[in-house]
Amino acid sequence: MVSMSLDSYEDVVGQVVIAQLRKLAHQLAGARVVHVNSTREGGGVAEILSWLVPLMNDLGLDTSWEVIDGHAEYFHTTKSFHNGLQGSPAALTDRMIKVYEDTVSANAERLRPKLSEADFVIIHDPQPAFLIKCCPERKGRWVWRCHIDVSRPNHRIWRYLKDLVSLYDASIYSMPHFARRLDHPQLIIAPSIDPLSDKNCELPQGYIDTTLDRFGIDRRLPLLTQISRFDRFKDPLGVIRAFDILSGSLDAQLVLAGGGAADDPEGQAVLNEVQETARGREDIFILDLPPDAHRTINALQRASTVVIQKSLQEGFGLTVTEAMWKSKPVIGGNVGGIRLQVHNHHTGFLVDTPEGAALRLRELLRQPGKASRMGRTAREFVTVNFLLTRHLREYLTLMLGLRHGLESHLLAG
Amino acid sequence: MVWKTEKVNMPFEVKDCTLITRMGGVQAAVSLRELREGVARCPLECLFHHFCETQLRPTFDDPEFSNDFAVWAAKHVRDRILAERLGVINPYEFDNLEQLREVVLEVVDDRLSEVGHHQFAPAGEDFRFMRAVTVVFDVGIQLRTPDDLVTRLPQFSTSSVYYHFVEARRRTETRLDDFSNWLAGFGAGTEPLLDALHGIDFYYLTLRELKDALLEAVCQPFMETAHG
Repeated sequence: MVSMSLDSYEDVVGQVVIAQLRKLAHQLAGARVVHVNSTREGGGVAEILSWLVPLMNDLGLDTSWEVIDGHAEYFHTTKSFHNGLQGSPAALTDRMIKVYEDTVSANAERLRPKLSEADFVIIHDPQPAFLIKCCPERKGRWVWRCHIDVSRPNHRIWRYLKDLVSLYDASIYSMPHFARRLDHPQLIIAPSIDPLSDKNCELPQGYIDTTLDRFGIDRRLPLLTQISRFDRFKDPLGVIRAFDILSGSLDAQLVLAGGGAADDPEGQAVLNEVQETARGREDIFILDLPPDAHRTINALQRASTVVIQKSLQEGFGLTVTEAMWKSKPVIGGNVGGIRLQVHNHHTGFLVDTPEGAALRLRELLRQPGKASRMGRTAREFVTVNFLLTRHLREYLTLMLGLRHGLESHLLAG
Repeated sequence: MVWKTEKVNMPFEVKDCTLITRMGGVQAAVSLRELREGVARCPLECLFHHFCETQLRPTFDDPEFSNDFAVWAAKHVRDRILAERLGVINPYEFDNLEQLREVVLEVVDDRLSEVGHHQFAPAGEDFRFMRAVTVVFDVGIQLRTPDDLVTRLPQFSTSSVYYHFVEARRRTETRLDDFSNWLAGFGAGTEPLLDALHGIDFYYLTLRELKDALLEAVCQPFMETAHG
C-alpha cells in the first residue's frame, strides 16, 4: 500500500480543511476499518480506494483494503449483476447464484477473522455483498457502498441482492436518485478525485506534447476526448456519430481512450466494435490503455479542447470531475451523476443524442471564450466540493454517526 | 489592541460541524400535489435540511434560491411563481419547524388552487426528501477576548462559521448567532462590532461569502477602534 500524507494536500485545499479532518478523525483514532471490493486496478472504485485507504491510515484509523479473488465465471456473473442493476436485461440462473455465493464464501474463509473483528466494514458494490452472510459473528458496523445507479434495476437481480443488502446497517449511494428504498438508513456520498494523483496532478507542457506525439495526434488541431472504459453504457459509437456530424464543418480530432477493468469481461467485444467503426479514419484515435496509464490520461485530458462523457447510463462519472478539475468544459450525457456535475450552459452541456453532442461541440469549438469561462467555473466547483478531502470528511462523519445510531445531531468529543 | 469592554466574559469554545445526507424516508414527489403530501408527512429534520443545511452540502450548482423546494419548483417543475413564493420564506423567522411546515403548506396549497393538480416534474427529476446527520465537534480553540475573534476568524472553516453564525439561531434562546451572544457579555464596548454582525444577511450568501462578510464586519470596528 502506498504511503500518503494528508499534509501533502494542504497547498491545494488549505490548512483549515486539513486541520478539520484531523480533529474529526481524532474521535475515531484506532478504529479498525476494512474496505472490500473486487479489483485492485481499473475502474473508479479501485481508484478511490487507492487514496482513501492510505489517507484513513494517515488520520489514525487502522484501515485495510481487501479484494475478492474470483475466476471468469464469477466475474461474468457479477457483470450480469452490474448490468441488471443498471436496468439492462440480464440473466440470473441458479448456476450463477451458486458460482457467486461459492466464490464469495471461499474468500470469506480468508477474510472472516479480519472482517468479524473490524469496527467498520465497507463493502463496495455487489461483487462482495454476500460476505455479510458469511460473517454471522461480526462485531462492527457493516455498510454497503453502492457506486452504481440502482434506481431502475432488473427486478429478479434486485430481489436477490436486496435480501443481502438489507442485512447491512446502512447503505451509501452517490446520488439520492440512485437509491432504492430499504429499511435501513441510506446515505449519500458523492465520489471525488485526488488532485495529486498521476491522473490529476499538474503536468509539464513537454510531457503533454510528448504524449500527443506518441499517438500521432496533431497538436495544432482541436482535440475532443472521451475517457472511459469500452462499455456500451458509455456510448462510444454515439460519440463517433456526433464527431461524424461535426467533422463536415470543423477540423478537429477525436480520441476515445480507456482501458479494461479486471472485473469487466465485455470490454474487449465493445473495443473491437469501436475499432471496426473507426477503421481507416485518421482523425479518430482509439486508445486501449493499460490500467496504470494515469499520466497518459491526464495528458490527454489537459490537451483537450472539450471533454465528452456521452454515457447512456452512468454511476457518478468521475471522468467528468477530472475534466472539470483541469478547467475543461464537458459535454455529458443527460444521465446519472453527470447531471449532478455538469451545470447545463454554465460548466458544460447535457445532451441526449449524438446530434445534441455535435451541436454543443460546434458551439464550444466556435466560441473558445465561452469554453474557457465554463472551464474556470467548473474548476472552482470541484475545488470546493469534489476533492478527496470532502469525501474523506463524509466517511468520518458516517462512522461517527454509525457509532451513535445516525441521530440527526451528534456532539462528538 | 485592547477592547474598551466593561466585563470579563466566559471563553468562547470554537466548534465545527460536518454533515452527511441521508434519505428522508418519504416517498419522492413527482407532482406539486405529491410535494404537498411529502411536506405534510416528512420528519421535521427534512424541512430543516432543505431550508437550512443547503449551504453545507457539496454541490456543482449555484442555485438562485436558498431552499431546495424553491429550486425544484423553478428548475424541474418550471413554476417560477411558486419558486419565488417558496424562495422568500426565511426559516429563521419561525419559532419552530412546525410553523415553517404550515407556511410551506399554505404556499403550495395556494398554488394548487391556482393551477390545479397538473404541475409535474419530468421523469427522473422528482423531489427527494432528505435529512442529514450532523456531527458537532470541538476545534480546540478558545477565544477569550474580542481581539481573539479578529485574529482567529481567518482560521475558521466555513462549516464552523455555519455552526456559530447560522445554526446557532435555532439553538440559542436569543435566536442570535453565537458570536453576538458571547460579545454581548463584554458590555457596551462591543456595540459597533455587534451592529456590524447584525447587519449581515446570511441567508443569501454562500458560506465562503458569509465568512468574508464576517471578516469584514469583525475587522472594521477593530480598525476604527485602533485608529480612534
